[in-house]
Amino acid sequence: MVLHLAWASLRRHTSRTLLAILGVAVAAAMLLDMVMMSTGLRESFRELLMSRGFQLRIAPKGTLPFDTDATIADVGRIVATLRLNDDIIAISPVLGSTIHVPIGPRTFTSATLGVNPAVQGDYDLVSGRDPAAVNEIAVNDDFVSATGVKVGDTIQVSTGYDPQLRTYSDSRAMVITGRVRFLYGAANQLATAMNLSTVQEMARRSDKASLFMIKVRDDADVEEARAWIERAVPQVSALSIATALEQVDQRLSYFRQLAFILGTVSLFVGFLLVTTLITVSVNERVGEITVMRALGVSKGHIVQQIVVEGMVITLSGAAAGLALGLVTARYLNGILASFPGLPVAIDFFLFQPKAAWMSLGLLSLSGIAAGVYPSWRAASLPIATTLREEAIA
Amino acid sequence: MLVQIAAALLLFQPPQQRTIAIDERLAADAGIAIGDKLIVSAKPGDTGGDTVIVSAIVKRGADPAEIARSEYKVRMHLDHLQTVAGYGDRVDRFAVATRGDSATSIALRDINAAAFGFEAHLSRDIAVGTSRTFQVVSRFHKAIGVITIVASAIFLLCIMLLKVEERRRDVAALRLMGISARTVVKGVVTEAALLALVGSALGVGVGWLASQFINWYYQGLYRTPLYFSLVTPSIVTFAVALSLVLGIVAGLLASLRLVRTPPLALFGR
Amino acid sequence: MSLVEVRDLARDYRFGADDVHALRGVTFDIAEGDYVAIVGPSGCGKSTLLNLLGAIDKPTRGTVRIRNESPGSMRDREATLFRLRNIGFVFQRFYLMPTLSARENVELPMAEAGLKSAERSARARELLSYVGLAQRERHRPSELSGGEQQRVAIARALANKPAILLADEPTGELDAKTGAEIIALFGQLNADRTTIIVVTHDDELARAARRRIHMRDGVIVNE
Repeated sequence: MVLHLAWASLRRHTSRTLLAILGVAVAAAMLLDMVMMSTGLRESFRELLMSRGFQLRIAPKGTLPFDTDATIADVGRIVATLRLNDDIIAISPVLGSTIHVPIGPRTFTSATLGVNPAVQGDYDLVSGRDPAAVNEIAVNDDFVSATGVKVGDTIQVSTGYDPQLRTYSDSRAMVITGRVRFLYGAANQLATAMNLSTVQEMARRSDKASLFMIKVRDDADVEEARAWIERAVPQVSALSIATALEQVDQRLSYFRQLAFILGTVSLFVGFLLVTTLITVSVNERVGEITVMRALGVSKGHIVQQIVVEGMVITLSGAAAGLALGLVTARYLNGILASFPGLPVAIDFFLFQPKAAWMSLGLLSLSGIAAGVYPSWRAASLPIATTLREEAIA
Repeated sequence: MLVQIAAALLLFQPPQQRTIAIDERLAADAGIAIGDKLIVSAKPGDTGGDTVIVSAIVKRGADPAEIARSEYKVRMHLDHLQTVAGYGDRVDRFAVATRGDSATSIALRDINAAAFGFEAHLSRDIAVGTSRTFQVVSRFHKAIGVITIVASAIFLLCIMLLKVEERRRDVAALRLMGISARTVVKGVVTEAALLALVGSALGVGVGWLASQFINWYYQGLYRTPLYFSLVTPSIVTFAVALSLVLGIVAGLLASLRLVRTPPLALFGR
Repeated sequence: MSLVEVRDLARDYRFGADDVHALRGVTFDIAEGDYVAIVGPSGCGKSTLLNLLGAIDKPTRGTVRIRNESPGSMRDREATLFRLRNIGFVFQRFYLMPTLSARENVELPMAEAGLKSAERSARARELLSYVGLAQRERHRPSELSGGEQQRVAIARALANKPAILLADEPTGELDAKTGAEIIALFGQLNADRTTIIVVTHDDELARAARRRIHMRDGVIVNE
C-alpha cells in the first residue's frame, strides 16, 4: 500500500514529477561525469603504463620521460649495469628524434622512436612486421594517410636539415615493413619506429637514449628495484608507475578539483530539487497525511511513503542520468582529448562500474534525506488542530 | 641538478664575470640568493660544469604553458649558453622588435624574402599556435558552462512551477473575484523577474568571491601570477541577462499553466 | 463494565495570551451497542470531546477509558495503534485519499493493520456492498457524489472492526436527501451492534440516535 500510495501521488502531478526527474537526470549526469573524471585520467594512464608490463621508466636525472630534449649517455654501460640486478628481466632503451621524409614535392616531418623491436613497449603491430634490420622502418596510420605510402615501399629518411641550404643530411633509404599503433602517440601525429642503432647513427647520438623502459619480475619489489637503479646509475631518475601517476596527478590536479567541486554542486542541486518538490507536495497534502494519522497509520509508514516518492524520482532521474552522463562524458572527453601531445589512448572520462555505483549511492542517499525531514514534520503535526485548520482552509 | 636552459639574452659579459639570473621559484626552492655560486652543465648529474655567480632573481611571467610544470628557468648570456650546451654559433630563434605595426609588416616581408631557410612569424601568431592547451581548457569550460545553464534552467522551471502551484488557491480566489488572467500572469512574471534580479545580484557576488578564491588558491598552488578566473562586465551582463530571461520564461510558463485551469478546479472542486 | 468511561475530562487551549477552556470536566459512560448523539451550539466543545474520545488529542485533565485502556495517556505510537484497532472515524469533509479508488480507500486501514492483499480486498468489497456501493469500487472520490464519498468513508471507518464509530458532523456537507440516507445507514449499523457516537447540528441525526448528550460551554447540561 505504501508503494501504491507513493506511485499514485507521483502520478497525480505528472508534469511536475517528470520535470523533477529531468532535473535530477541532469544533476545525475553531471555527477557521474565528475566521478568519472576524478578517477578516469589516473586509471586510464595507469592502464596505459601497465599495458606492456613495464613497471619502471628511466629518464635523464630530474626529468620526466620525453619531457625535455635531454638524453642519457652510455647506453651500453647502463644496460650492462642494469643486467646485474636479477629482478630486472627486460630492458628497452628508446631514443626519440625527428626525421624528414621527402615524398614527391613535399617533405614530411615525423617523430621517430629508435627501439629494440624484441623488447620494445612503445607500439602494437597492426600489420606487417617489426623493423628488425637497420634499413627498416615501421609507420603509423597518420603517416600512411599523410604520405600515401604502404607496407613494402622504400622511402628516403633524413635527420639533419640545413635551413640555409635547404638540404637534408644523413639521408638513407628505409623499407616500410609494417604499420604500427603507438601506445603513447598523440592524435594526428606522424610517427615511425626504427632500430635503435639506426636512429642513434642518423641523429648523431651514439650510445644515447631518451629513456629506458624496465620490466621487473612479478614477485620483485618494484620500489626496491627503482631505488637500486638510482643508486647504480646516478645520472638518471627512475620512475615507477606510482611516481608517474603522482606526477600526472600533480599536473592535472585542476581537473580532479574541478570534478570534486562540480560533483558536489550537482549532488546538492539534485538534493535541493527533490527536497523542494517533496516539501511542496507534502505541504499540499497535510490534510491527507493528518487524516491518515487519525485513521491509525503510523508516522513511520507515512515517512516511508514519502521517502519512496523521493526515491522514485531520484532513481528514475539517476537511470536517465546514467545514459545522459555517458553521452556528455563522450562529448567532454572529445574536447579534452585534443590536448596537444596527449596520447590517444588516454581518456579523461573512463567509465568504471564503481563510478556509476558511487553516483547512484550518493543520489539515493540524497533522495532519502530529501524525503525524511518534510514527511516527519508533517506526520508529527497535532492531528486535531491540523484537521481543524485544514477544514477552515 | 639539471638546469633548464632558456632562451639567451642580450648583453655580452666578459668571460671572467660569468653570471646568471635564476627565477624566483628556483631561488625559493633551493635557497639560493644573489651572489651564490652554482655549477651549470648541460649533462644531467655532471658536477664538473661551469661555476657561475647568481646576479639576479627574476619574477616568473604569467605564462599559461608553465602551469603545473615544475620547471625552473635560468637566464644566461648567449655565448655562455652556446658554450655550455655545445651548440656552437647557433640559436633557436631571434626575437625582433620593430617600431610600430607598419614597420613590423615590412620587416616580416623582408625577412621572409631574404632569409635562407628561415621563417619570420608575428609573436601574436606564435602565441595563438602555442596556446592550444588553453584553447582546449577554454572549450571544456564552455561545455561545462552550457551544461550548467541547462541544468539550472530545468531546476528553475521546476521550482517555479512548484512555487506558483503552491499558491493556486490564492490565484483561484483572485480569478473568482474578477481579476483577469492577464493581470495574474503579469503579477507572477513580475515577481519572477524581481526574484531573478535579486538572485542574479547575489549570484554575481558569490561568483566574484569564488573567482577571488580561485585565483588566490591556484596562484599559490602553481606559483604563478597568472589569473585563472576573471569576472568581467560582459560576463556579468550575460549572466544577469540570462538568469532574467530564464526567470521570466519560467514564471510565464508556470502562470500560464495555472490560469488555464478553471478557478473551481484550483480549489479542488 | 461500560465500553467507554469518561471521568472529569477537560481540555484547554492557549491562543496567544488567552486560555480557552474548550472542555471543562465532563463525565459519562457509553455501553457497547449505544448510539449517542452529542449536540450543542457551535463552540460548546463537542468536537473537542470527540477528538479526545478518538485519541487524536490529549486531555488537559481527566481520563477516557475505552475497553479498559486509557488512550489519553498513551505515547504517540501506542495511541496510533489504538486508533487503528479500536476507533473508526468519519469526518464531515469525508477526507478520502483522492489518488485511491473507493476500494483502495477502504483497504487503507487494513493494509496498515497488516492484512494480506486478498483478505483486505474481499473485506473492502463486503463493506462497500454493505454501504450500497459495490458497483462503484473502482471510482476515485472525484467521480463520486458527496453522499457516495461519505458512504465510502463510513466503510473505511469500519475496516478494522472498531470498538466505536466516531462521526463528526457526518451530514454537514450533504443535502437533506443524502443526509437522510446516511442517517439510515447509521441506524442500520447500530442495529448490527456497532457502537456509534456522533457529533451533530443535524436535528434529524440527533433524533435518530437512541441517546442524546447536550453540551454548552464545555460541560454537559442535559442527557
